[in-house]
Amino acid sequence: MPQTESGKPVVESGYVKKELPKNIGTIGMSLLVLGIILGTASYLIDPARASFSYLTSFVFLVCIGIGSLFLVSLEYAAGAVWSVPFRRISEFLSASVPFFLILALPLFFNMHNLFIWTNPAAVAGDAVLRQRATYLNIPFFIIRDVLIFVIWAIFYYVLIKNSRKQDLTLDQSITTRNIKFSIAFIVIFAFSISIFSFDWMMSMTPHWFSTIFGVYLFSDAVWVALAFTTFAAVTLAERGYLTSKIKKDHYYSLGTLMFAFTVFWAYIAFAQYMLQWYANLPEEIVYFQQRWTGVWKIISLALVITHFIVPFLLLIPRSSKTNPKILKFAAIWIIAVQFLDSYWLVMPSMVDNGLTFHISWMDFTFPIAVIGLIIYLFSLLAKKNNLLAIGDPKLKRGLDFRL
Amino acid sequence: MTKDYSVELALIEGNPPLRELDDLIAAPIDTRPSHKYNIALAITGGLLLIGAICVGLTFYYGIGMWGNNIPVAWAFDITNFVFWVGIGHAGTLISAILYLLRQQWRTGIARFAEAMTIFAVICAGLFPIIHTGRPWLAGYLIPYPNQHGIWPNFISPLVWDVFAVSTYLTVSLVFWYVGLIPDFATLRDRATNKIKKTIYSVFSLGWRHSNRHWKHYEKVYMILAGLATPLVLSVHTVVSWDFAVAVLPGWHSTIFPPYFVAGAIFSGFAMVSTVLIFVRKVFDMEHIITMDHLEKMNKIILLTGSMVGYAYIIEWFMSWYSGTPFELFTTLNRAFGPYGWAYWIMVSCNVFFPQLFWFKKIRRSIPVTLVIVILVNVGMWFERFVIIVSSLSRDFLPSSWHYFTPTLVDFGILFGSFGLFFTLILLFAKSLPVISISEIKGVLQGAQPSHHGDEHDA
Amino acid sequence: MHNDKNLFGVAALFDTPDEIINAAKKVKSSGFKYYDVNTPYPLHGMDDAMGLKSSKMGYVTLFAGFAAAAFILFFMWWTIAISYPLVIGGKPFFALPAFVPITFEFTVLTAVLSTVFGMIAVVFNLPFNSHPLHDTNYMKKVSSDKYGLVIEAADELFEEDKAVSLLKDLGGKDIEKIYYPEKEEHKIFQPRFLVFLAVVAILTAGGTYVTLNKFMYLPPFDFMLNQNKGLAQAKSTFFYDEREMRTPVEGTVARHFIPYAYQSQADTTEVLADPLLPTQKILKLGQEKFLTFCSPCHGDYGDGNSRLMGQFPAGPTLHSDRVTGFSDGRIYNIITNGQNVMPSYARQITREQRWAIINYIRVLQRAQNPKPSDFTDIKEINKESGQNASN
Repeated sequence: MPQTESGKPVVESGYVKKELPKNIGTIGMSLLVLGIILGTASYLIDPARASFSYLTSFVFLVCIGIGSLFLVSLEYAAGAVWSVPFRRISEFLSASVPFFLILALPLFFNMHNLFIWTNPAAVAGDAVLRQRATYLNIPFFIIRDVLIFVIWAIFYYVLIKNSRKQDLTLDQSITTRNIKFSIAFIVIFAFSISIFSFDWMMSMTPHWFSTIFGVYLFSDAVWVALAFTTFAAVTLAERGYLTSKIKKDHYYSLGTLMFAFTVFWAYIAFAQYMLQWYANLPEEIVYFQQRWTGVWKIISLALVITHFIVPFLLLIPRSSKTNPKILKFAAIWIIAVQFLDSYWLVMPSMVDNGLTFHISWMDFTFPIAVIGLIIYLFSLLAKKNNLLAIGDPKLKRGLDFRL
Repeated sequence: MTKDYSVELALIEGNPPLRELDDLIAAPIDTRPSHKYNIALAITGGLLLIGAICVGLTFYYGIGMWGNNIPVAWAFDITNFVFWVGIGHAGTLISAILYLLRQQWRTGIARFAEAMTIFAVICAGLFPIIHTGRPWLAGYLIPYPNQHGIWPNFISPLVWDVFAVSTYLTVSLVFWYVGLIPDFATLRDRATNKIKKTIYSVFSLGWRHSNRHWKHYEKVYMILAGLATPLVLSVHTVVSWDFAVAVLPGWHSTIFPPYFVAGAIFSGFAMVSTVLIFVRKVFDMEHIITMDHLEKMNKIILLTGSMVGYAYIIEWFMSWYSGTPFELFTTLNRAFGPYGWAYWIMVSCNVFFPQLFWFKKIRRSIPVTLVIVILVNVGMWFERFVIIVSSLSRDFLPSSWHYFTPTLVDFGILFGSFGLFFTLILLFAKSLPVISISEIKGVLQGAQPSHHGDEHDA
Repeated sequence: MHNDKNLFGVAALFDTPDEIINAAKKVKSSGFKYYDVNTPYPLHGMDDAMGLKSSKMGYVTLFAGFAAAAFILFFMWWTIAISYPLVIGGKPFFALPAFVPITFEFTVLTAVLSTVFGMIAVVFNLPFNSHPLHDTNYMKKVSSDKYGLVIEAADELFEEDKAVSLLKDLGGKDIEKIYYPEKEEHKIFQPRFLVFLAVVAILTAGGTYVTLNKFMYLPPFDFMLNQNKGLAQAKSTFFYDEREMRTPVEGTVARHFIPYAYQSQADTTEVLADPLLPTQKILKLGQEKFLTFCSPCHGDYGDGNSRLMGQFPAGPTLHSDRVTGFSDGRIYNIITNGQNVMPSYARQITREQRWAIINYIRVLQRAQNPKPSDFTDIKEINKESGQNASN
């Protein structure tokens, strides 16, 4: 156990730091390299197609990274207690946040493949796009999105650095400071994730708009972040990397949150679909028509079943929310479905750019790299830091948490 | 740093003995009403009478008594409906959602908030019926095999509304009553008056505080909370769909469901705060309904108020981004058209004033809180007014544009609904325990066995 | 004093949650099954101490919810697609997205009501105000600030003295023996009850009478009686022809009425064709209608042999070469419009029945002029079925 500078006793958490198996990092690294090699190959074969695949995976990664950071800040802002033992895991999972800017560079260079509004001829011939050009133009797009990624990275550094410092100093004022940063982050996050979703996904369908779209991506991001956190927390706790004080009550809370966000997504997705289906306005319904033709019809239906019905039924019973096996299965399921949702959000817009869509192996190259990156970063950080926020003053209450 | 995060704050100041709690909570029921109470009841009863007269006039002469016109066919009636449904959301939020989130501070205020929910939904439910002008025909909204051989149109959001509001009222009542059963039993066992005892016996159903019952009771309470949570969200969602399924600019917006729900919680909490500030003072319950409660409520008001602000901003952005001239016109017309005054009342009361709650001093100052929460209620009433009236008064056909001016009867019914609401609240406060006795006992310090939970290891 | 009464059980009070949990554990480990703990609020960990399994009420909710969802979805579809088919807003009959809100609300409503009713009435068997524990000192205390445990006499291991000493050892205070209340006799037909019934009956009947016969004729409920409307034979001051009664707009067609387009046409051979198949059912219908409407003049077999035979006007035979040569459409036209002295039968005979009559006439004609093949057919049928086809 680490010694504290102030000589105060370390909170009795029963946590003993254990090294993760070495091969975890190796697996992550090799997945990352494999994904990058395959992805680069797909880009050399068909750059336009690969741009779409890359964006799909980028959205997937952003959802995981920023969703996890949101969970960290939510815990501070809401004063939640039960989730304190898992906060470090969410912190590690959000480690990809500082890399968003670098990872977005290939997209900035391939914008003409993705967005019809980057084509001056198309804009000139379209009144709606002409009006939007004030907002949707390449320089402004790059400026605001770079700014968003930078702000996210700053908040990541501040929150995570403070949290780690508390492991050593046990300083309660750090919690107070982090609460303030978290609240600021949540306010900024609400707007920045909306702008992110409008820019990278909504603007791909030239005339379409939906005011709820930002909330839709928000629900996705939190959902998948919870799934990753749950999977990592349950696996680590089972194998004794955390502490024996983690009980079914904690699992239950994680399961309940996953369940709640399953329902929340269904609510938001249904509200968006039903209103546009009901009104049947030409500029709106086009979005769902694209996703109701050909193979997309199957994918859309599959999304309803896999994104809502299966996790909903799976997580209803109390027994499955406390069962580690079911929780891990649900978490992996959610992660896979979240990729499907990113796919559903991005790929149909190939048609808007004059390409024809068919499912291809190329779409599954980049997600390998995403998973690899997350595992690799996790193992890297787990080596240097405690897996439990042992300095957090709320930790004891968190571990003693009972339903 | 003064704040210590490692200890839990006491929910009730002073940790009084259990029997004292009984006496304190039962005191308003056992004592005769004071002079002030009677005066308050006279005022609310007077308002109720004004409303009743105006409703009577409406039924006799028809809805021509109101300022409604074509195209503004919905005005005060539906505004009041949406306003009251919104108020009705806080109760279930406090009793169900905060219960699921294990926010134990809710115990002090849950019962009162639930009662407010029921009364607010009663007020709300009256308006669609009043607004038809022929309330005696409302029975046709119920799907039964009638002599015409036709059914309600299940594809219409107005019929969804009938189902949503009636389900919400029923479930809230059941939830409330289930929570009241143990308290009726406690009141029964301390009653000395025979008539009172009989009444409490009937309502307590012969509850025996048996642990074999508590087991199921707690589980069912949990299930009810789990079902009431999506229900409360669905109710205002359905209300928002009354507008959003239409193709009218300013109504047709996909963000309406969460935006309406946030607004409902916002206004509901403001109303709960308004009432609780008086209740805790009048009934000497300042150590049960503490300053911390009010501060937490203020934080939620700030949160939901900011969500509403987010929705306003997205609406502005999207009406421009959409490239639809009608959308843009409607948004500009709201802010700078003939109803601009209402729009700016709405924005200042809903977005600007609640932002003052960022300051801890303001959050913990009762007079300032009272002013802000009342302003929030005003603002939320105007929000519904702006959405309904400004969109309708200037729709696609400029030749039929028409300004809406309310009549005295319109105002009379609005005041009458407040009269009804506060009359019911006053009667409730004097006849039923305003705080859940069995729940508040359970969250006192030392109320739970010291080693509980070790069995969970098995 | 209580000795002649039935003992329900022995009860004791405890002061703290820890004591009662401990007591419950001990009583359970002593082997008692019929005992209960009464606490003013639910105690965490008590279920484990008493060894109770977790509540299964969730299954009631789940079952009721799914049943309600299935029912209401089917019901909405049935009303809008089967019972009174109606296309609304261009949506399909099974407009699932539009059915979701009501399905959800109805599911929640049914689930909540079934769960609560199931818990209170079925599981708890409430209301139960005559339970022996009521009105005891014990109940008054556990209702407020004490924690109580009662061992019931119904238990196999129960012995009064042992139970008392066990509770005493556990630290129980105010040990109380609880007896069943004396049975009270309640006669149903007491005079007071009969008077009460009579008053209720008179009030209900009188109230209903006044409501239906007086109240409903007062404004505003009389809106149906006193509405502004045009009466059929009244004089109008508004219309130029001074009639309240209006004729329909030219070309108006009544619901379910399809106009006959060949009113003045003598021969409709080209445009009308028999839509029916000559099945047994159709031929039976044709026979019935033929015998009702045609046979009085044309004779039972269509040979003109009716009671009008030899008089004027007499129905002609339908077996003449001329009539045999009529097309189906032409006969249809004659039935619809009439011919010579035969009136139109359009009002008496529906379209389908007319075609059925035509089919039957064809059968009669064939019977009068059979072909040789008809006889072989009958022979074959007789051979196969082994009985006379004319039966």
